[in-house]
Amino acid sequence: MNQDGSLVRLENIHKCFGDNLVLKGIDLAVKPEQVVVVIGPSGSGKSTLLRTINLLEEPTQGRVWFNGTNLTDIRTDLNKMRTQIGLVFQSFNLFPHKTAMGNITVALRKVLKLSDGEARERALEQLEHVGLREKADAYPSQLSGGQQQRVAIARALAMRPKLMLFDEVTSALDPELVKEVLDTMKRLADEGMTMVVVTHEMGFAREVGTRLLFMDDGKVLEDGQPKSIFSNPTDERTKEFLSHVL
Amino acid sequence: MTARLERLRDWLRECTPLSLVILAAGGAALAIGILGTLVFLALEGLTPSTELVETLTSQSEGAILYTAIALGVAAIGSGFLLYKRMPTKAAREASVSGAALGLQAVLFALLLLWFRSGEKFDIFVRLFFSFDVLGPFVDQFLNAAKNTIVMAFLAQALGMVLGLFLAMLVLSNRVAVRAPARAYINFMRGTPLLVQLLIGYLGIVTGLGFREVSVFATATVILGLNAGAYTAEIFRAGIQSLERGQMEASRSLGMSYLQAMRYVVVPQAVRRVIPPLTNEFVILIKDTSLVAFLGLSFVQRELLAWGRDAYAETFNSTPFLVATVGYLLVTLPLIRAVSALERKLRSGLVGIGA
Ligand SMILES: Nc1ncnc2c1ncn2[C@@H]1O[C@H](COP(=O)(O)OP(=O)(O)O)[C@@H](O)[C@H]1O
Ligand SMILES: [Mg+2]
Repeated sequence: MNQDGSLVRLENIHKCFGDNLVLKGIDLAVKPEQVVVVIGPSGSGKSTLLRTINLLEEPTQGRVWFNGTNLTDIRTDLNKMRTQIGLVFQSFNLFPHKTAMGNITVALRKVLKLSDGEARERALEQLEHVGLREKADAYPSQLSGGQQQRVAIARALAMRPKLMLFDEVTSALDPELVKEVLDTMKRLADEGMTMVVVTHEMGFAREVGTRLLFMDDGKVLEDGQPKSIFSNPTDERTKEFLSHVL
Repeated sequence: MTARLERLRDWLRECTPLSLVILAAGGAALAIGILGTLVFLALEGLTPSTELVETLTSQSEGAILYTAIALGVAAIGSGFLLYKRMPTKAAREASVSGAALGLQAVLFALLLLWFRSGEKFDIFVRLFFSFDVLGPFVDQFLNAAKNTIVMAFLAQALGMVLGLFLAMLVLSNRVAVRAPARAYINFMRGTPLLVQLLIGYLGIVTGLGFREVSVFATATVILGLNAGAYTAEIFRAGIQSLERGQMEASRSLGMSYLQAMRYVVVPQAVRRVIPPLTNEFVILIKDTSLVAFLGLSFVQRELLAWGRDAYAETFNSTPFLVATVGYLLVTLPLIRAVSALERKLRSGLVGIGA
């Protein structure tokens, strides 16, 4: 934990892509077991913010603290820190040349240096958790989108992270497959996982989220209880956005 | 196999009798023209070359060729005139195929007729088809073929290791790492291989006086260094063709850049680059012939050097023809084997590159 009791702490984060200023000074502290849902229009910087938390994007300015470590310090061993932060992508990004089992075990064996047996055991445990134990030997191309995304979640969870980041993980799925992924995430939240979730699923935001952020144009415009923001948004742009998506 | 036979039977059932006649005429024209000539030649004897000339210019051969032309013309005419009126797709295919076969037969027969009408046809045949001169060289041919294969495989192995390494360097974000690799690749790709071989040979073996280093070894290494530049570009393109998400997913699991390359990116890239890599290897096999321009010792000669030496001793070009066949014997099976491997790799992994 960080000194202030938070698990993640962003301080004055700015991010430029060339001349394009995408994040314009973000301050955010996420406490353990919080489920922070991030909403906002496309291009507002939600993915960039999420990817800044595990330093997949290096902030142009500002600091990222995770569990008492300054990730933006050049001397920090990022590879080691990233094992504690799971990230799930909109496009799954499973390794197509590996089975579900292989997808999960490769980092366990090569990064955490577990033995083959331990890695397999842990992978099966996680596949069981997402309800795909019988698909251990299937290649990603043999799985449905929903199943692929659940394998991706299992792959991240197998590292036993302290924090899970989800970037529009249901956006690429057919409508009938969305529920199985959301259910998996809901169960994870119930088990006490700290999560930051970028999503357009307002039902999930309302029911599972413990905190809601509305982002627009690289800034956090709204931060509070999901229910109160949905019923009583303060910012004009939040109102407008919600009127489109609700 | 049985499935294929069944499909053929279904196909035949859909053909009309007329379309099958056209197909048969075209097929017969080609069989009579080419197979007929070959069988006739085999019966009359392939050596000495005067025998070949006599057979090919005989009236019987003329009859064979004119028969092929007549059948071929009939197939072409009826096939192209009637295919649009065929009632089924299979019948249309049969008549077009018949016409195509007929056309090939006519072209072959006309070409042979033209050749044999040449004033110096006998000299041409003696120069290129004197198989009896090969006798003393047959053992050495096998040795030369072996040398070609060994040289090509060693050079390709070196080239692939070097190429993968160079590809990694070229993909670096740091100019200091990237620039020398890029310079090396551009130099190797921008200068003729023959020049590289000559400079390497003259420079190392003669110039520096390392006379105990064999020409064969020097040439193999230079071929490998050259192949490294081309495989580097192939690997680089393969690696860059992968979605960015593969690297990002690997890094987010805590893998280092090199681990992500080794366990995720490169294995997928290798599958994707098999076709261009084969292509490059086939070119390398053919390029081993340039080594003939360096003074290879007797036992180290590859196919072209063998052909040239045999030519010099016999004043006959047949060895060159045989060397050509030698290259095909190496390259064709390779092309087939690799496309089979490619299919196998793809079938298990539909998601990759397909
Ligand atoms: N790697 C990148 N290079 C350049 N521009 C980028 C990159 N990633 C994102 N952007 C830009 O940053 C802005 C915010 O993108 P993103 O964080 O993906 O928004 P969101 O996830 O809210 O839709 C967009 O204008 C996008 O074009
Ligand atoms: Mg996004």
